[in-house]
Amino acid sequence: MARSISRRSFLKAGAAVAATSVLAGCQPGLRRWVTLEPYVVAPEEQPDGIPTWYASVCRGCPAGCGIMARVMNGRAVKIEGNPEHPLNAGKLCANGQAGLQILYNPDRLDAPLLTAKRGSREFARLPWDSALSTLAAKVKDAGSAVAIVLGPTTSGHLVDLFQRLAKALGAPAPLVFDARSSWSGTAALSAANQALWGQGALSAYDLGGSDVIYSFGADFLGAGLSPTRYGIEYGRFRSQPKGARGYLVQFEPHMSITAAKADQWVPIAPGTEGLVAQAIARIIADEGLGTSDRIARAAALAGEINLASAAQAAGVDVQQLRQLAQVFAEAQRPLAIPGNGQSGAAGVTAAQALNAIAGGAGMALQGNPPAPALVRAEPAGYGQVQHLIGQMGSGAVKALLTYGTNLAYELPAQAGFLDALDKVGFVATFSPFMDEMGANSDMVLAERTYLESWGYAVVAPDFGVAAVTSQQPVVQPLNDARSAGDVLLAMAKQIPSAAGAFTWSDEVAFLREVAGGLPAGAAGGTGADAQWARFLQHGGWWPASAPASQPTPPPSASAPISVAAPQYQGDATIYPFHLHVFASPLLGISGANLPWLQGSPDPLTSMCWQTWVAINPATARKLGVQKSDVVRVTTPYGELEAPVYAYPAVRPDTIAVPLGQGHTDLGRYAQGRGASPLALLGGDAGPDGEPAWATVRCQVTPTGRSVNMATFEWTPGVEQGFFNQGYPGE
Amino acid sequence: MELNTHKWTMVIDQDRCTGCSACVIACHAENNVPIVDENQVWRGRGMHWIRIERYWEPDGQYVKARLLPVLCQQCDSAPCEPVCPVFATYHSERQNLNVQVYNRCVGTRYCSNNDPYKVRYFNFFPPQWDEPLNQQLNPDVTVRSAGVMEKCSFCVQRIARAEQAALAEGRQLDPSEVVPACVQTCPPSALLFGDLNDPNSQIASVLAGSKGRQYRLLEDLGTQPSVYYLKGGETNVGA
Repeated sequence: MARSISRRSFLKAGAAVAATSVLAGCQPGLRRWVTLEPYVVAPEEQPDGIPTWYASVCRGCPAGCGIMARVMNGRAVKIEGNPEHPLNAGKLCANGQAGLQILYNPDRLDAPLLTAKRGSREFARLPWDSALSTLAAKVKDAGSAVAIVLGPTTSGHLVDLFQRLAKALGAPAPLVFDARSSWSGTAALSAANQALWGQGALSAYDLGGSDVIYSFGADFLGAGLSPTRYGIEYGRFRSQPKGARGYLVQFEPHMSITAAKADQWVPIAPGTEGLVAQAIARIIADEGLGTSDRIARAAALAGEINLASAAQAAGVDVQQLRQLAQVFAEAQRPLAIPGNGQSGAAGVTAAQALNAIAGGAGMALQGNPPAPALVRAEPAGYGQVQHLIGQMGSGAVKALLTYGTNLAYELPAQAGFLDALDKVGFVATFSPFMDEMGANSDMVLAERTYLESWGYAVVAPDFGVAAVTSQQPVVQPLNDARSAGDVLLAMAKQIPSAAGAFTWSDEVAFLREVAGGLPAGAAGGTGADAQWARFLQHGGWWPASAPASQPTPPPSASAPISVAAPQYQGDATIYPFHLHVFASPLLGISGANLPWLQGSPDPLTSMCWQTWVAINPATARKLGVQKSDVVRVTTPYGELEAPVYAYPAVRPDTIAVPLGQGHTDLGRYAQGRGASPLALLGGDAGPDGEPAWATVRCQVTPTGRSVNMATFEWTPGVEQGFFNQGYPGE
Repeated sequence: MELNTHKWTMVIDQDRCTGCSACVIACHAENNVPIVDENQVWRGRGMHWIRIERYWEPDGQYVKARLLPVLCQQCDSAPCEPVCPVFATYHSERQNLNVQVYNRCVGTRYCSNNDPYKVRYFNFFPPQWDEPLNQQLNPDVTVRSAGVMEKCSFCVQRIARAEQAALAEGRQLDPSEVVPACVQTCPPSALLFGDLNDPNSQIASVLAGSKGRQYRLLEDLGTQPSVYYLKGGETNVGA
């Protein structure tokens, strides 16, 4: 046993040598070095557990990325991207990584629930048999007056089953919609491609091979159409051969992470994306920029436009537009990325027209699914949502079934969905959680989470490689929630008109039948059993060898594209600012019940757990507010209170508020937290059928209160970083 | 004692990092890093072993944003190591990493005080996972208690697993088998990881080919970080 040594010599010894060694003993001749090596690495006789990996699909967004779940002792402990999957090649975005907190969320439902008074949030638990017979009876009584709404992440086989149910009942086909699909411009994009190429399909962009990219308000690196794959593409874009790193221009009023990574951020006024795209096209035609093919296509596609007015509406110089047009027209392989539907469907078409003008190289139109029996959840345009609300409000819907879409939260109040719901006889929702839709339903059927479920996803957009991602449970179901597929099959047996359409014993039998129609693919396997096993094991179906890229056909628009100037909602004297509503890349629209997403910093503001109002610092100074001051934002449609974040990367005339908070339901992490800017938006469509959510004006009023803001950054450091000279532009 | 032959190194390409924060979430999931509530975040007690720092640079009327992923730099000459009174943090010669031993830490927080990169995070409270969120916890990684400092370990549990697998199979470790959680998930492949001692590694060739863009954080402090950054944006002028 070593004599105790003085603290001073202990520390001297420790500081002088590698810290693994300590001088032990003080008598000369007996000094020896003792090695301290605590167990960072366990001894050999304590081997690590052996995980099992299950391939499945991510349901965080509709993209359809392949995942692998690492399962140890029956518990899923980590999700990774599936390295074999052609869409995401082993990579996965933040939203996908957070999926385990859906599976193990403490606020999951575990039994069917029924309420006597809709909206009271007082539910009684039912046994499943009782719930199924009640549901079947209600649906049967409704006859053909049944409406079905599905979310865009719904498994193809469920969409299929709901479609068959609707058909058997004589009811309208299910509607697929959620707020995210609108914000990613899904329906508007299909409509644009229909107008330009006669194919109502999604398009994807090979960023990695492009030299110039103009993105018209598309936050494709954030909560967009395919965040993981566009992240991969972005990496390739910046690492092209011979040191080429591409040139990205982002047109939007408030800097998203896509704008942060752009070489040029053009802060245009909200709702003017289409005008700018059309102006660029017109300049290419009028000034003869680029190849003769491009000039000819521009002349055919670009409608007449007053450049000076367009520039003024957007807040840019005509000269700047000319330069932008020249760079695009003269690029080798330019791409235009259309933005969200809020800029108007015509705006999306104008951006797509630039791709048509460029020649279409680098753009892939979505092909048909590899087997005709496969079904995709294709989001509908807003007009169909309005039609449904109208039907509901007139009492024409006797039973409403919803799956995977929290419409009671995701639509502005002024859209009238909740009011119309009052006129619907019976409302049943399938969900793993008590969200706002469930809270406003008569019956909530506890649904299994995606990691406990079967299904498939047709990858969309598919970037030129048709693929279907398989879905299988990666753990035993945690509780008594049941899969919607099995519920539908059981329920249908109790409805005479539907029973004949549903002959399968369970949903897996149905899935095997559908998957059996797939041709030979990369996963291989001879015979139905082996093919099914490989389909699950490898995570889906894709072709064994990469298909030749399909050249884009020449555009066939019948009339030149013409974008109207935005019609702002609200009197500018009462509402002096533009409102820009956006989705943060972490929280998105639906991540509020996941602590990993709530508690991790938004990349550009480092905000956690809260809603903020992003105001340009110069504007904040004029308003007499600073970070943490709570302001009231009012629009013609509603109001919201949230603290200010002085954000130098937003137009001084624009106020930006992120989506995702302001829940009254959805569990302990989501409820009673922040505010939803959907309350500030109207329910009417714009002139071209998409929601007019980019053209709302607002006023900002200090409330005199302030709150503690949960930013990960230290604000004085940020503000002092400008050397007390104030933010630029002040 | 067998000396380490690997020099684990990370390269972060700022031209590729998009700020998507997939690395942040992946790290929480892999390493059982707790999520801190709103009030504690406001008090500066947020815990993210890897974080995305955003810097504003004036650009005319507006600003440019620069994004910088920051994690423990695994310094060869770490300022956090000499100040721990109980040797809870030391330089493991076996792993060539700056190692944190949880059961030894007594919570003086001197290491975090000395750390110039501020990548050390302290458990001011017992971390809590509302059941059944705790079922997700990775059994390969110790779950820390209150009073313990934690930080990025370059996913040492994955290094250990790869070494064990190589040992069990009677072969040498192939360093490219080791992929930390953040590197694995990063969609633009902005994060790269490998053994700088291996001349055939991707890391070695990336660093050899990007001398003009390379830098390390706060290099003049003499910490000798094991993380190299490649300048991005218009400062990416190639090799």
